[in-house]
Formats: sequence, C-alpha cells, structure tokens
Amino acid sequence: MPEIHVRNIVKEFGDQRALDDVSFDVAEGELFTLLGPSGCGKSTTLMSIAGFQHPEAGRIAVGDDTFFDAVAKIAVPAEQRNLGIVFQSYAVWPHLTVFGNLAFPLKVRKLRRDAIRARVRQVLELVEMLPYEQRYPHQLSGGQQQRVALARALVYSPSVLLLDEPFSNLDAKLRERARAWVKELQGTLGLTTIFVTHDQDEALSMSDRVAVMSAGEVQQIGTPEEIYRRPANRFVAEFVGRVNLIDGLVSGSGGGGVVVDVAGSSHQLTVNDGAGVSGSVTIAVRPEAVTVMRLDDRSVDGMNTWEAEVETVAFLGDHYEYDVKAGPLALTVQSSRRVEGDRIRVHIPPDACAVVE
Amino acid sequence: MTATSYEQTFPRPRRSLVPAWALHWGTWLLVVALIVGPLVPLLYASLRDRPLYEAGGVLTVQPYRELFGDSAFWHAWGNTLAFASLTTLMAVLGGALVAILVTRTDIAGRKTLGRLILLPILLPSLGMVLGWLVIWGPGGYLTAMFNDRLHLPTLPIDTIPGMALVEATRLLPIAYLTCQAALSRADSSLEDAARSAGARPVRVLSNITIPMLRPALLNAATLIFTLSIAALGIPLLLGTSNNIVFVSSYLYNTWTNATTPDPGSVSAGAVMMLLVATALLVLRNRLLGAEARFVSVGGKSGRQALLRLRSARWPLTGLVAFYLVFTTLVPIIGLALMSVVVVLTPLVAPWELLTSAHWQVLLDDDTFRRSIRNSAVIALVGALLTTAFVALATLVAHRSGFRFRRTLPFLMLYPRATPGIIIGIGFFWAYLITGAFGDYMRGSIWGIMLAFCVRNLPLAYIVMYPTLARIGEELDRAGRAAGAGWWRTSRSIVLPLLKPALFASFILMFVEIINDYDPAVFLVKPGTEVMGATMLAQFIQGTVGPVSALAMVQVVITVVVLSIGAKLFKIGVSGGEHGA
Repeated sequence: MPEIHVRNIVKEFGDQRALDDVSFDVAEGELFTLLGPSGCGKSTTLMSIAGFQHPEAGRIAVGDDTFFDAVAKIAVPAEQRNLGIVFQSYAVWPHLTVFGNLAFPLKVRKLRRDAIRARVRQVLELVEMLPYEQRYPHQLSGGQQQRVALARALVYSPSVLLLDEPFSNLDAKLRERARAWVKELQGTLGLTTIFVTHDQDEALSMSDRVAVMSAGEVQQIGTPEEIYRRPANRFVAEFVGRVNLIDGLVSGSGGGGVVVDVAGSSHQLTVNDGAGVSGSVTIAVRPEAVTVMRLDDRSVDGMNTWEAEVETVAFLGDHYEYDVKAGPLALTVQSSRRVEGDRIRVHIPPDACAVVE
Repeated sequence: MTATSYEQTFPRPRRSLVPAWALHWGTWLLVVALIVGPLVPLLYASLRDRPLYEAGGVLTVQPYRELFGDSAFWHAWGNTLAFASLTTLMAVLGGALVAILVTRTDIAGRKTLGRLILLPILLPSLGMVLGWLVIWGPGGYLTAMFNDRLHLPTLPIDTIPGMALVEATRLLPIAYLTCQAALSRADSSLEDAARSAGARPVRVLSNITIPMLRPALLNAATLIFTLSIAALGIPLLLGTSNNIVFVSSYLYNTWTNATTPDPGSVSAGAVMMLLVATALLVLRNRLLGAEARFVSVGGKSGRQALLRLRSARWPLTGLVAFYLVFTTLVPIIGLALMSVVVVLTPLVAPWELLTSAHWQVLLDDDTFRRSIRNSAVIALVGALLTTAFVALATLVAHRSGFRFRRTLPFLMLYPRATPGIIIGIGFFWAYLITGAFGDYMRGSIWGIMLAFCVRNLPLAYIVMYPTLARIGEELDRAGRAAGAGWWRTSRSIVLPLLKPALFASFILMFVEIINDYDPAVFLVKPGTEVMGATMLAQFIQGTVGPVSALAMVQVVITVVVLSIGAKLFKIGVSGGEHGA
C-alpha cells in the first residue's frame, strides 16, 4: 500500500476557484480524512485523485506512479489508476447481481472464470455478504449495498481506497456500526485510504489524520486531537465541534503563553498557547473544558476563575448545558454536574485555551 | 480472513484497442457530416449558375434573383404563412384545452382520452390527409351526405382554413404533450393556495393554471409553426384543385415540371425555407430557457385535486370524444372503405360496390409491391441503425469528456426544424457530388434510408436523453474506477441500463420511417420506391383506390407495431416532446 502525494492542486470552474493550492501527503496504511462543509472542495480533491476531474495545476502521485502533473502534461485516465472508490450513492450497478458487480473489475482485468469466482467469494466473505451473492441490488438494504460497494472497490486489490461520504445515506444507528466496521477493515488490511466527509464526528472518530478544508483551501492538517484541541484558525475551531470564542488584547506573556485582557470586561485570561503573539487575539475554548462550581466552592481559585450569571440550563441526558454570562462575556458550558444557584463560578483552565487568531 | 490472504496482485487493465478519443471524434464527425453535410451542397447549389454535376459553373446570385422575381413564389409564402398561423392557433388552443381537461378535471375516461389524443402524430400523415379527402373533401362521402341529403354546409377542406384544420388535428398532440408536461410538473399547492384564498375552481383555472401554461404554449406554438411550414402532402393533395400553392409545393412543382433539370432556384427556395426554420429553432431554444423560470419550486406534488366539472362533465367528455371520432376514426374508416369499394358515394350503399381490385393491385403491381418491401426493409434497418447511432452520440454528448460534446444536442435536434423536402434536396446534391459512394446511394434504397434516418433522429434523441439523465453518473464512474475504459463502461453498464429507452426509440423510429415520405420525393427512382412517395406520385396521377389500400397498410403496420411496443416494453409516448 503506497503513500499518496497531492501537491499544489488548483482547479477552476469558470471564474470560480474550487481548489486553491491544495497540498497534502497520506502515509502508507493511513486513514486520511478531508473534512469540510459542502462546496469546500473536498469532493473535487477526491475526484481529481480518482481521475474524474483534471486540475489546472499541480501534481498527484501514488507511490512512484505520477497520476497527474500539469507541468509534464501527464493525466492518467481514471480506469488506469487502479484505485478503489466507494461513492456516496454506492453506485452498485442495478442490472447486475452482487456477484456480477464484483466480477466486473476482474473481467476487465482478463482473469480466468474460476479465478474470478474464487476471488469474488473471498472478498464477499470479507464483507460478510457471501449469502447474498446472487441477489440484485434492489433486494438489498442500504447497509448491504454499501458493503457490496466496498467489496467491489476492494476486489482487485487497489493501491489506495477512496471513500466519498459513504455513510451519509445510512440512518444514525447503522451509520455508527458501519463506521466502526470500515475502520476495522481498513486497519486489518492496512489500506491507504482517503475519506471525504462533512460530518466532524465521523472525521474525528475514524481518522488517523484530518485535513479541514474551506473555500478550496486546506485550513489545517493534524490528528483528530490536534484539530480539536489546537484549531489553527477561527474556521476550524467553529467547524469542528462547538466553541466559545473570546476576543481580547495581549497584555503580557511568559511561561510559553500569554495573558489576554478580555474585550469589554475587566477579566484577564491566562492562556498556555500562542507564545510570542501580540495585539488583538481570539481565544477558543471548548464548552466541556470549562469548569462550573457553586459560588461558595473555593476548590479552584485564582487565575481564569470568574463569577457568572446563569441564563439557561438545559438537561441533555448525559450532560447539562449552561449559558452563562461572566460580566459581558457570554459562555456556553457543558458539564456532567448540576450546579444549583443563579450565580455560579466558572473556571477556564489555561491549557484548554487555544489562540486562533 | 486475514490481511495476508487478501493481498493479491492483479494484472493492470489493458487499454482498449480503439482509444475513447478516437470514438468520440468519429461519432462527432459523423453527426456533423450527416446533419450539416447535406446542407452545404444545397447552399452551394443555390449559388451556382448550373447544376453541381455540370462542370465549369460560376458563383452567382442568379437563382435567388430568379426566385425572388417570381410573384408565384411570394404568393406561395403568403399562403404558407396564413396556413401555418391558422394551424398553430387551432392546434395550440385545442391541445391546451384537452391537456387541462385531462390533467386537471374529472372528465370521464381521462387516461383513455389522454392516450387516444396522441394517435394522430403517430399515424401516417399522408394517409390521414387522404382519409380526410375521401370523407370530407369536395365530393367526399360525408360532404356529399351533409350537403345533398341533409342540406347542411360543411367546412371545405380544400381552402386554407380547411387545410389548416387538417394539419392542426395532426399537430395537436404536440401542444397537448407540452402542456400536459408543464401541468404535471407544476406544483398543485399553487392552486391549493388560491383555493384557500377564496377563489372558486374556475377562477383558479383562469387566474393560476392557464397563466402558468404560457411558456409551454409559446414553446409548442413555435414548434407547430415550424412543422406546418414544411407540410407537403396537404398542399399537394388538398390544395391542387383550388390552385392553392405553398412554398413546399411550389418547390416540388418547380422541380418536377422544370424544363431545365434540377433548377438552382429550387435550391435557393430551399435555403430560404431552411433559414426561416433555423430562426424559429433558435427562437424556440430561447423560449425553452425562459420556460425554466416558470418552473414552480417545491416538493413534488402528490395527488392533484381534480376540478369537478359537475354538469359540464358529460358534455365536455362528449366533445372530446366527438373530436377524436371525427378527426381520427372517421378518416381511417374512410380510408378502409375507399380501399375496398369501386367508388365511395352516399348514393349507393358501400357493400354493393365492394371490390378487391385495389388490394389486388398491391399484390400484382411491381411498384406497389416494391414500395411495401422497400419501406419495410428501410424502416427495420433504419430504426436499428438510428437507435444504435443516436445512443452512441447521446453517450458522447452527455457522458464523456469530449471537447465538443455540448454541440451534439443542438446538432441532433436540428433536423427536427428542417423541412423534409429540404433534407431530400440536400441529400440529392450530396449524393451527386460524392462520386462512387453517392452513385451507389442514389441507385439504392439506402440513400433514401439515410435521409429518413437523419430526418427522424431527433425523436430518438428526445426519447433517450431523459432516461440517460436519470441514470446516475456515479454508476459509470464506478465502472471507470473498476478499470473499464469509456467504451467498455458504456457497453457493460450504461447501455444495459438504457435498454427501455433503446426499445422505445427503435419502435418510434420504425413507425416514423415507415410513414415518412417528403425527404424521398426527390430521391426515388424506379426500383427504390417507398410507400409514402408512391402514394403521393400515384395520387397525383389520379389513382385513389390502391393508394388508399397502401395507406391502410401503413396504418395497420403503425397500430400493430405501436401496440406491440406498448405491450412489450410499456412504452408511453407521454412527455416525449417537451425536451425537444
């Protein structure tokens, strides 16, 4: 399973720049996710790798094979790239049986009939669909069709696997099971995989690394933890999970971080991030990172601890959600604890703060 | 299973012998050659002082000067425009009325009426004109009965309004289909909203439903106007007695009666007609763009509430049924009768004049026999070839990365606007200047077949495109990703999924080609006769009985083939016209 290199890809549709200098590398056996809202260019990137779209500039290579190079005028046709793709609609051919669907790529590769038979059965067993070999797609459920689509993408041992929003047509319960199953299969087979999704939960739970995209540009590449805890900018912070954004002015520094005067209030926020930054900044704090306690609870005191007014409390099953106001500063807080009282104390750990701008 | 047993290397798929780009270019060039090809020599012929096959000609506008100097030509234009305008008015109003009645009201037998109303466009047009003539023509069966026995006036169909009525009954289905498609696309909640705002049902119809139809009406009107300008059978069959000449019959007469063979002025006249038709096509494309703005947004409407006609229900049902009987059934019965009697007259009961002589002619006369055989062969082979070729061209147009793919839909729809006789003259010149190939085509039925195929291929595209558009593009991308090239993907995945549309196209092409005649009138030679051209030529010579029998052959073949098609492949003709 080789690695994938995408270098400085530019793609334009008319005046619209769909991809603007997109670059990333995917390591061997890695599950790499392109995450972003619709229209951010993630699918265009995937289709450029697959060969269904030709960028205006840049270079795409898998292992030692250059698939696309705008300068050298190389554009290997899609059918010669030997990639496995699972489409959003699954695209299981409705006029062929499950067996027929899986046999097609092998027939194209001119395998002998008994070799095709053996291989198809082997891969169907892998996706636990062997009993459905002779069924037609319309006789299968959505989840089963998805397994067939995946099996068809794997049957010819493609060099890499591309998944284009494969779970978006499944209902919530089935989706979670399918995620776990695909992740496990990918790990077992050691497939280098690029996965496209707009669902941040999916991206965080499945990926080795994530590239967050917006407006045709890669905003940040990192492990799910890095993306979530240290978002590189406001877009990433807001798109991945929920976030409190606090504007302020840097008033001091030290200890690998800065001290920020929160805009419009007398609060000072100590942040263990952004050493060397000055001027006005925006700090991102995840709602679940904020601690809430009763007004008379003094277990945590000192820096980043303020009194706050409780505006609303919502019970959401596994946690409570508070909307509070510490002076003019509005914060959303998630906590498993129910803290009584209209006035409470909130604490923002300096480690939970990320400078995003 | 473990990862190790999954790991296997397979040979890379081999590239196909004919690369996709060669296939794309080949298809495109052939489409251009077939559709633009015949028009270029036509244009050239109209600008020369002598026929193309005579050497040493010079470029000149003399043919145009000759043509424009002939007052009969301008008179013919006047007649043609009056005829086309009247036809359009009647067909559009009638088609819209029937469409509203069938889709929006509780008229009795809605589905049956909706299906029967389509018949005239599929029936042989020349045969139907003949049917009208023997029943409603001067001295026709019912005309004589009404005038002499009942002393009631009838509409003389050998006048311009009469001819327009005949043509309008043939083209009414186009207006019906366009309006029906627009009505079933429209969200009925727009009408419901008006109802809840307090409007009575009839008010809703006049204030909401009919205004929404406006773009569909304009679109249908342009197409019907274009098609009626090209009518040839009607002026030749109905106009001759009163000496009413249309542009098409003017060109036909000039060509067949010319002292010098193949006069350039006919080509000049054809070019002029072509320009008018092209202008109308461009106008229609504009209108189709405008139509998109009228598409009401919103969820697909569920069951539409039908307007209750109450006491008007049976009278209106009767009116539509009456229309169907008198415009479709009666002419066919007239044809059938005419083919088995010596004379068709209300003075003597038909069963006292029975004869099998007309049908005997079909069996005995070489020309008639050959016509039937040639038409059958041409229709069968032509329908197969057209379907296959249009399928390929449609795939290139909509499922390839070919550079000029966007020109293909326009090219393939172009012959729809081109009058049949112009295609005929174009192919005549094209065969004349293409050496051995042209000589062979001119001398065989294949030359006529090619002209018929080109003339009718827009309908094949119109049938195929909507089905192709419904086949998700990810299905062919999955084929490409699996290692199959463009052609292999098309062959193994897209074409099998397109099968119902391919069958429908074949049936439609067969019916259209077997009934077509006007492109052939300049191409037939002894030995290459086809049914329609023989009917025209024989009728002009005064043979009516055997011609009626031949028309009945067309009617029977059409009805049988269409019912087989409908039975086997569940072919519905509905909506086939609105994408055109």
